[in-house]
Amino acid sequence: MKKFFAVIKREYLQRVRTKFFIVATVMGPVMLGLFTVLPVYISNMQVGGATRLAVVDQSGKIFDAFRNALANGNEDVENDNENPSTSAINSNREEQMKRSAQIGGQRFEAELIGLDGRSLEDVKRELNDRVRANELDGYVIIPPDILGNGKAEFYGRNTGDIFTREAVADRLSRAVREQRLAENKIDQRLLREASRRVSLVSTKISAQGEEKVGGSGFMFVFSFGLLIYMSVLLYGQIVLGAVIEEKETRIAEILFSSMRAFPLMMGKLVGVSLVALTQLSIWGLAFLVLAGFGVGFAAAQGVPINLPHLPPIVLVYFVLFFLLGYFIYATIYALIGSMVTTTQEGGQLAMPIVLMLVAGFYFVFPIIRSPNSSLAFWASMFPFLAPITMMVRITTETPPAWQIILSLTIGFATVVGLVWLASRIYRVGMLMYGKKATIPEVWRWVRQA
Amino acid sequence: MTNESQPTLVLDHVTKRYGDFTAVDDLSLQVRSGRVFGLIGPNGAGKTTTIRMIVNITVPDSGRIELFGQPMQTSLQDRIGYLPEERGLYRKMKVGEQLKFFAELKDVRGKEADARVDRWLAKLQLSDWKNKRAKDLSKGMQQKVQFITAVIHDPDLLILDEPFSGLDPVNVELMKDTILENKREGKTIILSTHQMEIAEKLCDDVCMINRAKKVLDGRLREIRRSFSRNAVALQFSGGDGLLQDTTLVANVRQNGDDTEVLLAPNVDAQMLLKRLVESGAVVNKFELAEPSLHDIFIEKVRE
Repeated sequence: MKKFFAVIKREYLQRVRTKFFIVATVMGPVMLGLFTVLPVYISNMQVGGATRLAVVDQSGKIFDAFRNALANGNEDVENDNENPSTSAINSNREEQMKRSAQIGGQRFEAELIGLDGRSLEDVKRELNDRVRANELDGYVIIPPDILGNGKAEFYGRNTGDIFTREAVADRLSRAVREQRLAENKIDQRLLREASRRVSLVSTKISAQGEEKVGGSGFMFVFSFGLLIYMSVLLYGQIVLGAVIEEKETRIAEILFSSMRAFPLMMGKLVGVSLVALTQLSIWGLAFLVLAGFGVGFAAAQGVPINLPHLPPIVLVYFVLFFLLGYFIYATIYALIGSMVTTTQEGGQLAMPIVLMLVAGFYFVFPIIRSPNSSLAFWASMFPFLAPITMMVRITTETPPAWQIILSLTIGFATVVGLVWLASRIYRVGMLMYGKKATIPEVWRWVRQA
Repeated sequence: MTNESQPTLVLDHVTKRYGDFTAVDDLSLQVRSGRVFGLIGPNGAGKTTTIRMIVNITVPDSGRIELFGQPMQTSLQDRIGYLPEERGLYRKMKVGEQLKFFAELKDVRGKEADARVDRWLAKLQLSDWKNKRAKDLSKGMQQKVQFITAVIHDPDLLILDEPFSGLDPVNVELMKDTILENKREGKTIILSTHQMEIAEKLCDDVCMINRAKKVLDGRLREIRRSFSRNAVALQFSGGDGLLQDTTLVANVRQNGDDTEVLLAPNVDAQMLLKRLVESGAVVNKFELAEPSLHDIFIEKVRE
């Protein structure tokens, strides 16, 4: 047992003290911050000033409203925001991107061009020249019957700029809508009021009584799965390297002459995992602090934010199933490390198995629909799927405690079993230097050891 | 300290197979306490497999291994120091930390471990390298660090597999002295090598293995005597023609400055010396030649 701790201590200290670890730990949150802020910032960058548009308004009714709309930005987005259930936290990324692109906003300069007796063709020719000469970025031709058929034409140097096209279409629609409403004598505010969306407040009935939850269950499980996946990807290779290191450096022989293979393998796994957990805890704390500031800031700005409300026991399960998920896949890397001679080889072998974790997501929707079906039960007992599937069940309709305990027991027993298997393969494989083992060979090693 | 009358290590009809290949075949041997035991044999003879069974890395398919009077078990591993032929250190780990880790693996910990690390580093002139990473050391230095990992826990049985390979002459001497010092302290040492000259100088007993089987076993001195072929090593001048007398000499071979003379049957060395002196030759060296371990080794391997 003391030797087991000596192995853990070595693995842990040697890795935590490396410059790489320190840099990665500090840079992680910084990079995370950069990668969430930068894309938004860059897409908002206003390059080259306002977009200059000429407008040929043949209807003679739209230009003023259009220019106002261009100046005021996107009204529809603000309308959407009236519905609190789609607060900034829950909306998807694409929407966020779009919205930030619009809010950050392109500026427009609109110039009214009268026909003044010239033909439309002449005016277009003249405008084309101005666009070519870079005096204009584009022009819009509004036909006389725009209120009826709702069609207009946009000419521009860069029609691939979807943001400009979208914005022009959007602002023009608004201007046309306003004009139509005005002509039919309908109060716009009244209309907006009348067409407001219904928001659905969902309440979960559980053994503890009624609890309000947002639609955050899926998001929660999804981020949970992603967290396991990320940490396995980040640390699986390190587990693999740690196991292969002793084969490459030939230290294994001294180690095996001092201790049994199982505590050695387990010690390495636990040591590296503690490194992972240290890093994740630091990142987690940094995230919480940042998120805390963020929420506080948003709240101060009067933005309502629904944080998912979770009972404390779910957080305990969260930690337990995270550990299970991490260990079960990290162990696979250890197992593969015991068979191969180089890290690259091992990484390739491990990948298909780690995809099992992703497969767990396929079960999420059927389980959300009926969390107590036998499919849900078996999927949450199968150790490679359990971390995801059991968390889905816990957050939707918490299964009886015995099922959760059974799932955890099966899972951790599988981890121990895999480590045992890995240590046997490792010990025999170590004695046959330098060649990759075939499956029948590995099987023979397991029996021989 | 181990009991004098009881052997430190007993191998009793030990066999180890890997698939169809028999690495060690029905090997029996005894290593007596407080002696240097040479395990010699050509490459691939089964030395390393034998050692791996002794240090409990693998277990025999059949046969029995007894160490310090007990059947082999994990707890006895702490009393063995092992320098494997395939060596390695954690490349990025500092020498001092590395040695402390290996001490901990042998159940020596805390201040005691620190003290021993310092003592051994000083002894092998490595103190300045304590805080250097292993990869920054020369090969010879790495060898010495490895040797320390084998002795840091003060083992009763020390197993050294090719301890001299890769060492310069100065360090070979240092290593030899350290081995003999361990012997003086009452440790039992198993030395596996195919460098016969060194084995000859250090070993009290030898066991020779060839193709998985034991071919020779016993006290080195007795083995050499039993291989003695009634030969004399000579340095002389004059006495022309004497060595052509086939009633006296069966064979003559030049070996460096020495002339090795194999005497004819029923002739003893005294008779040759007498005849040499009578013939007026000046004799500078006259030595009863016992065959070297090298010769015995070659002879046995060719058999």
